[in-house]
Amino acid sequence: MKEDLIVSDKNDDGIDRAGFIKCMAWAGTGILWMMNGGIMKSFGMSQMIDKATGGLKKGLIIPPSDFSFVQISDSHIGFNKAANPDVLGTLQAAVSKINSMPEAPSFVLHTGDLSHLAQADEFDTLDQVLKSVKTERILYVPGEHDVLNGDNKQYLARYGKGTLGDGWYSFDSHGVHFVALVNVVNTSEGGLGVLGNDQLEWLEKDLKPLSSSTPVVVFAHIPLWAVYPQWGWGTRDSAQALSYLKRFGSVTVLNGHIHQTMQKVEGNITFHTATSTAFPQPQPGAAPAPGPMKVPADQLRGLLGLTSVHYQEHNHTLAITDTPLMKAGETIP
Amino acid sequence: MVISALSLVVIASVAAIRPEKNPASSFRNLKVLPGNISQKQLSAIMVDQFQDELGVSCNFCHSENRETHKPDYASDAKPEKQIARLMMQMTNRINKKYFNLGHAMIGDSASIVTCGTCHQGKPRPVNF
Repeated sequence: MKEDLIVSDKNDDGIDRAGFIKCMAWAGTGILWMMNGGIMKSFGMSQMIDKATGGLKKGLIIPPSDFSFVQISDSHIGFNKAANPDVLGTLQAAVSKINSMPEAPSFVLHTGDLSHLAQADEFDTLDQVLKSVKTERILYVPGEHDVLNGDNKQYLARYGKGTLGDGWYSFDSHGVHFVALVNVVNTSEGGLGVLGNDQLEWLEKDLKPLSSSTPVVVFAHIPLWAVYPQWGWGTRDSAQALSYLKRFGSVTVLNGHIHQTMQKVEGNITFHTATSTAFPQPQPGAAPAPGPMKVPADQLRGLLGLTSVHYQEHNHTLAITDTPLMKAGETIP
Repeated sequence: MVISALSLVVIASVAAIRPEKNPASSFRNLKVLPGNISQKQLSAIMVDQFQDELGVSCNFCHSENRETHKPDYASDAKPEKQIARLMMQMTNRINKKYFNLGHAMIGDSASIVTCGTCHQGKPRPVNF
């Protein structure tokens, strides 16, 4: 399409101003999760926001729900390379979208990589931006960038109060049991995440008293399913954790790390990975290695999220599965 | 002769990097990177150079402590770590000799040649 052609590419990086704004709009996406009768529904927030006004789309009716929460991920505060030199701006865009929701979410989950280099000033900046989120609380799990060089003391001091081990914990909200797992402190060969025996033992005990009808939401940074193990996009000992979840009727597993939306349903478990608020990464196997997406001009239109924000959303199972747009008078069945 | 050349590179590297005003680091067994490198500088090299430009994670060079199951960053058990040291020295030397960057240091934004120049996102560079 003509409007997607690069008209000015002074830096020879494959991104013109319009393209960068589109990329920002895509990268700043969050996901709204709503619980209704024990069933989780997800909505890409880019689909709900009017790009022209920044507010909720006219005529959009949010279906009734027991409660809702938002997941954001991979903010990488401190990153300043060509893939996105303004990660702060895109995080703020995500916050604006959250604050545009007609009803504030009960809480926000950040699924890790809050910072890029685990620096105090990076965490400070993130905290400052997230202060403006209209929600009751924000909950975190660390990404590998938050515990670089094996040092998770700063992360735990800031975000891990009251947690166990390397920062794992659970809590209940509106009849749903939430479990935060940490799989980035002891990574294994190839970069795969590791939960470790201590955490697995805790998880088994944590789930034991729950009835099988309790909806369970598990969140961690690195995916708990084998998205692409060749790039370390999986967790070595996740099978053990998932075996403890098999008896539950409704299990939702939320992850970040791979900077793109993917969804998989396996029996009673729905796996979902979130987009980054910072920069995209290549699709599995589409590049020699994972990392901040380089954008050569001749491939720009084929890259994630850059051609059209709506189109990009429809490319992923999230939108297709969950009926992305709701018109006046309609609700989700 | 080779040892002398490498020593020169190491000395030049130590002089070139400008540690931030952070407290002295507690990193052990640094042989090419300066001993007083800041945590931020070291992390940036590990993330931007090795992770992003080679597509590897910590375990590619760092062995695992068998007791804690965490990376043992000081250990020289994996040969890849020694190769990485030689590669850093080579890169610094190329930037200095052929691009006249007297204070070139791996991770320096002024560097012309970086790990990614040859590696192109792969642990081992493809043949030219």
